[in-house]
Amino acid sequence: MNDLFFIPIIKMFVIFGVCLFFITYTTWLERKALGHFQLRYGPMRVGYHGLLQPIADGIKNFFKEEVVPDNADRAVFLLAPIISISLAVMLLAVIPFGAPITILGKKVDLYLANPSIGILFILGFATIGSYGTILGGWSSGNKYGYMGGLRASAMIISYELSMAFAVLSIIMVTGSFSLVDMVGAQQHVWNILREPVAFLVFLISGIAELNRTPFDMPEAESELCCGYNIEYSSMKFSLFFLAEYTHLFVFAALVTTLFLGGWHGPILPGVVWFFLKTFTIIFLCIWIRATIPRLRYDKVMKLEWKFLLPVALANVIATGVVMALFG
Amino acid sequence: MEKSDIIVVSRDRGEKGNYVKPFIKGLQYTLGNFFKKPITVQYPDQKTCRSERWRGLHKLNVDEKGELKCVACGLCAAVCPSQAITIVAREEIGGTRHPETFEINELRCIFCGFCQEACPKGAISLTKVYEYVDYSREDFVFDISKLRTTGEKWNC
Amino acid sequence: MSESKTVTLNMGPHHPATHGVLRVVLELDGEKIVNATPVIGYLHRGIEKICESRTYQQILPLTDRLDYSAASANNLGYCLAVEKLMGLEVPKRAQYLRVIMAELARIMGHHLWLGTHALDIGAMTVIFYAFRDREMIMAMNEEISGYRLTPSFIRIGGVAQDATEDFIGKVRKFVKWFPPALEGYHQLLTENKIWTTRTMNIGTISAGEAVNHGLTGPSLRGSGVAYDVRKAFPYSSYGDFDFKVPVGEKGDVYDRYLVRMEEFKQSINIIDQAIENLPSGPILTDNPWVASPMQSEVQTDISALIRRFMINYKGTPVPGGELYSAVEGAKGELGFYLVGDGGEHPYRLKIRSSCFYLASALPRLLVGHMVADAIAIIGSLDVVLGEIDR
Repeated sequence: MNDLFFIPIIKMFVIFGVCLFFITYTTWLERKALGHFQLRYGPMRVGYHGLLQPIADGIKNFFKEEVVPDNADRAVFLLAPIISISLAVMLLAVIPFGAPITILGKKVDLYLANPSIGILFILGFATIGSYGTILGGWSSGNKYGYMGGLRASAMIISYELSMAFAVLSIIMVTGSFSLVDMVGAQQHVWNILREPVAFLVFLISGIAELNRTPFDMPEAESELCCGYNIEYSSMKFSLFFLAEYTHLFVFAALVTTLFLGGWHGPILPGVVWFFLKTFTIIFLCIWIRATIPRLRYDKVMKLEWKFLLPVALANVIATGVVMALFG
Repeated sequence: MEKSDIIVVSRDRGEKGNYVKPFIKGLQYTLGNFFKKPITVQYPDQKTCRSERWRGLHKLNVDEKGELKCVACGLCAAVCPSQAITIVAREEIGGTRHPETFEINELRCIFCGFCQEACPKGAISLTKVYEYVDYSREDFVFDISKLRTTGEKWNC
Repeated sequence: MSESKTVTLNMGPHHPATHGVLRVVLELDGEKIVNATPVIGYLHRGIEKICESRTYQQILPLTDRLDYSAASANNLGYCLAVEKLMGLEVPKRAQYLRVIMAELARIMGHHLWLGTHALDIGAMTVIFYAFRDREMIMAMNEEISGYRLTPSFIRIGGVAQDATEDFIGKVRKFVKWFPPALEGYHQLLTENKIWTTRTMNIGTISAGEAVNHGLTGPSLRGSGVAYDVRKAFPYSSYGDFDFKVPVGEKGDVYDRYLVRMEEFKQSINIIDQAIENLPSGPILTDNPWVASPMQSEVQTDISALIRRFMINYKGTPVPGGELYSAVEGAKGELGFYLVGDGGEHPYRLKIRSSCFYLASALPRLLVGHMVADAIAIIGSLDVVLGEIDR
C-alpha cells in the first residue's frame, strides 16, 4: 500500500515542481537569448543577470487588475486559460525524465505514469489544450482575438496530421506506444539517425503547433496585435503564457524522447542528459524565432497540405517498405 | 535623366535562392551576433558621453562677481520658437539692467538652441543635462534660482 | 438563404504595424480585404498655420518635426525654398555639409523603415541591427549639432556650425563600417524564401498608376519610374557627385525593398565623395540680413549688436513672391510652396508631403490582399504620420 500512496504523490510534487521551475526559467532563457541575438542584454535588473525576473513578473501579474470586456462571453472567457494551462501541465505526467534510480533501496521510475498509449495521450491532450486558445480568442468579443482563434483552430487541424504521421513512423520502428519503451529502444542508435525525415517533419509541425515564429499565426503581434490573448490581462494572461511555455517544454522533451535518445548518454547521469537535450531544442526554437520572418496564413496551410503531409506519408510508407524487406 | 544614371535592381537573389541555404545563412548571422558583446548600456548605472554641443537644460551664466550676466534684453524670449521664455526686467539706479523674473518652461521648450545663439552676452547656455524628472508640471517652470544651478543638482 | 457578410476591422490608430497613428478601416471577407479606407489626422499639429505667425528663422525647428525619421532633409527643403525666394548664394562648404547631413538623414530614415518593415513581417532581429547602425548616425548628428533626432543643423543661408574633426572621423568610420553591415541585412532577408514569398507580387502598382497616384521617392522608383529630384532638378551641389538612381521592374513590395536597400549604398557613396572633397571656406552666406554677427563682433561693435537684435527680434525680411521648391526626402519628393509678402513671416507655407500621397494609394494597393499583406504593404510604402498630418 505504501507504494500506491506515498511515492506517486511525492513524485508528482517533485516532477511538477521541477518542471514548472524549468518552464518559468524558459521564459527567462528566451528573453535572455533573444537579447543576446539582438545585441542587447535582456533582463538584467532583478537579481543577478535578471535571474529573479520570472518571479517578479509572476508577482506583478498576480497584482494586476482583472479585466473582462463587456461583450465577452464571460464564462468561456474565464474558462479558456484554465483549459489551456491544466491540459498543458497534464502532459508532463507521461514524460520519462531519466533512467530508474534507486533511493533507500527502492527502485524509483523517473516518470509519473507510463500508460501503454503514452504518445497518443500526449497528442490527444495537446490538441484538446488548443481549445483554450480557440475559445479564448472567440470569447473575447474582439475581432483580432476572433481571427486569432480562427487561425489557431485551422493550424491545429492541419499540423496535427503531419505530426501524427511523423510519430507513426517512430511507433513502427519501436513497435510500442509507450514513451518509456521508445527511449529504451534508442539505447544504441538514436531515432534521428533512423528517421531523419520524420525528425524534420516533427520539428517543423511541432513549432507550428506551438504557434511560434515563423508560424505564429494566432498571435502575430504585428498583424493581430497578439491575437487570441489580446483582451487577457493579469493572471489569466499569465496562465496562457505559462501554458505556451509548458507546451514548448513538452515539445522539446518529446523531441528528446522520440528522436534524441531520451536520457541515454555517456558519463553524465540520465536526467542531466535529458534536460541538456531538451534545452538544446528550446534554444533552437528561440534561435529560429530570432532569425526568420513570419509566413503568411495561407502559405502556412499550403506548406502543411502540399508539402509536409505528403512527405510524412511517404516517410511512413518508406519505413513500412524498409521494415518489410529487411526487418 | 540619362540611362547611365539608372541601375535596375536585380531580383535574382530572391528569385533564384533555394529554400534551405538562406535559412542556414540567416541562422549563421544571428548566431555570430549572439557571441558578440551587446552594444547597449545599462542606463542608470552606465551612461554614454554627450557631445560638447549637446542641447540640454538651460543654465544662466554668472560673471566673476557671481552676478547674472543677463541684462534682460529679451532677445532669447523673442527668438524662442515655442515661446517658452518669460522675462521681466528691472532697471537699477545707474542704468544697469537685471532680470526681475526669468522663467523657462522646460515642457514647452523644444531645445533648438536659438536662445543660446541669439544672446549677445553669452548669459544663457544649454548644458549637457538631459535627464530631468519631477513630480508636477509646475516644477518644470524653471526660475532664476533653478536656472543658476542647472547641472549641479543632477551632477552631470 | 444567408448571404455572405463582411467584417469591418479597425486597424489603428494604435495598431503596432501602422507606423504611428495611421488608421485603416478594413472591410474583410474572411481574411481578404475587399475595401480599405485610410483615416488620417491623429497627429495634426497645425504646422502650416503656426508657420504663418513665426519668423522664417523660427519655422526651421518645426520642419524637423515633419518627417522626424529623416529630419535634416526637411530642413534642407525649407531652407532651399527661402533661399530661392531671397536669391541667396550658399557657400560651397555649407552645401557639401548639407548634402552629408541630408544623406545621413536618408540612411537614418531607411534604417527605421527596414527595421519596422522586417518586424512587421516577423523578422524581429533586423530592427536591432538596423538601430545599431542608426545609433552611429545619431551620434554624428549629436556631434555636429547637439541633438540626435531633430538636429536643426541646416539654416537659412548655410549651416549652423562648422564640422568638427570628430564628426569627420565618425563619418569616415561609418562609410567603412556600413557596407558589410548592409550585406548582413541582405543575408538575413533578401534570399530568405519566407521573405520573398511575403513580399514578391504583393501590392503591385504599375508605373502609370503610381504616377497617377502622385507617388514619389523609392515607392515610385520601385515601379520603374526613374524620377529623383536630386537628378532631375539638382540642388545643393548634388550635380557634383556621382551616384545612380535605383529603379525596380515590377512595383511590388520586394522591388520597393530592393530599391531602398540600393539607396543605402548610393547614399553612402555620396557621403564618401562629399566628406573626402569637403572644400574649406565659410559655412554661412555673408548676407547681413541672414548671417547673425559673431559673438566677438557683438561684444565690441555696436552696429553688429544692433544687427543681431534686428535679425532675432524682427526676423529676416524676405521679398514677396511665391515659388515651389522640392527636395528628395527619404520618403519622396518633399516640396515647400512658399508665398512671401515681403515681411518677416511667410504669408503661406504649403508643404507637399510625399507620405500623404503614399497613404492615398493605400486603398488601391490593399484591396484583394490579405490582412497579413496589408501590413507588409503599409511597411513598404514607409509612411511617416508626422509628415502626413503636419
